[in-house]
Amino acid sequence: MKRLLQKTHEAWLATQMAAFMARNTESKRWLNEAAMILWRHFTWIEHEMVVRGIEYDYDRETIPIKVERLSVMIADLNRRYGEIELLLGASEDAALKERIAHDLEYLRFAAGRLPDETVRAFSMERRYKDLDLGKEATDALTLFLFEESYKEYELILIYNYLRAHNDDTFLDRIFGILIDESFFHLRSFGEMMAEMGILGVPRVVHESLYKVESLERFLLDGIDEEIAAKEQCRELSQAVAAESEELAKFFDFINNQENYHIALMKEAVEHYRAEGR
Amino acid sequence: MIQQVDREILDHMIDPKNYGSMEDPDAIGIGENPQNGEKVIVYLKVDDAGEAPRIASIRFQAIGCMTTVVAGSIITEEARELAFPQAEEMISVALGMLENVPPEEAACSEMVALALQAAMDTWHARRENPEIPALVYKIENTCVTKEETAKENG
Repeated sequence: MKRLLQKTHEAWLATQMAAFMARNTESKRWLNEAAMILWRHFTWIEHEMVVRGIEYDYDRETIPIKVERLSVMIADLNRRYGEIELLLGASEDAALKERIAHDLEYLRFAAGRLPDETVRAFSMERRYKDLDLGKEATDALTLFLFEESYKEYELILIYNYLRAHNDDTFLDRIFGILIDESFFHLRSFGEMMAEMGILGVPRVVHESLYKVESLERFLLDGIDEEIAAKEQCRELSQAVAAESEELAKFFDFINNQENYHIALMKEAVEHYRAEGR
Repeated sequence: MIQQVDREILDHMIDPKNYGSMEDPDAIGIGENPQNGEKVIVYLKVDDAGEAPRIASIRFQAIGCMTTVVAGSIITEEARELAFPQAEEMISVALGMLENVPPEEAACSEMVALALQAAMDTWHARRENPEIPALVYKIENTCVTKEETAKENG
């Protein structure tokens, strides 16, 4: 089961990276949908492991994605889907196995029909669309994208782990919203990285980050991190404002979204304390 | 903190070298920032066949910022295949160079260098006592800037 979970995790992330690098609109849409299907498989497999009392973590192998043509990445995805099919025997949930097997069969069929294209996500040009941001703003944007794309991936895994081990409906709702929000941010930042030719896979998240010892401490630290992220967004918005109203507005938009995350995390802390945990 | 992103730094950001955990390491060392809980974990496989123990394989993980990851990628790449005395010399040179760098910029590299030193010291200590846990060394520099400290203190 552990290997099944790990390989599904890797396939989800590899598919998401392929979605970022695809420029054809239909390919991008399909790969994004495929990534979300694999993410759901991941959470369902995880649920079975929790029910069966199987210890697990989110460790995984490095995922090589540096390709010149999308077809090379698609061939790798199909290999990954095939590998998962071979591991499905570890699951004791017949309905789940059948569902995943059918999904993978279709994913392999449909992925094989995507049109090939040249990949520019690794060009290292560090140019966003046609904007001339200047060296300082480009460096700041580059750093922001690497830091925050990792952070969003980390948050997805942390909230997902907390959700998988939580039986409180109030917290479950909040964790669910925060996972959805991080997915949106990860997709936004990943798209920008691909556009700038600096796409990279977020690094592996250390186990101690999601197997939290104190939920209250984690939430309080998380609020501080959200406040710091807001400040970064504000600075970045100012740095790019002269060259791009579009980018400046985007970072203001992300900045404002963090307010709601902070409010939800404060609600979670209050609820947690009120429950006397 | 990374101030300028050149091609080499970008390479390490996109594809950090030696990143990740290691199965059955011979030694683990941890460098920690006591102020914010950030840490670097270094895993070693050690070749003990020669005159001095040698780093046969090295991996690291970081709970910290991108600067720490880049520092880890560069330092572990330099340390690969080195005999312990050479690695210790490299750490000493690196820490010496950091004395001329603002503390908030030095903290990340210091954390990686100390984690590597801790891993080698753990390996030595385990020869005496195999049950000894991974050694943890705490950094002296802080990655909080003077401006941030002033802001926090009002």
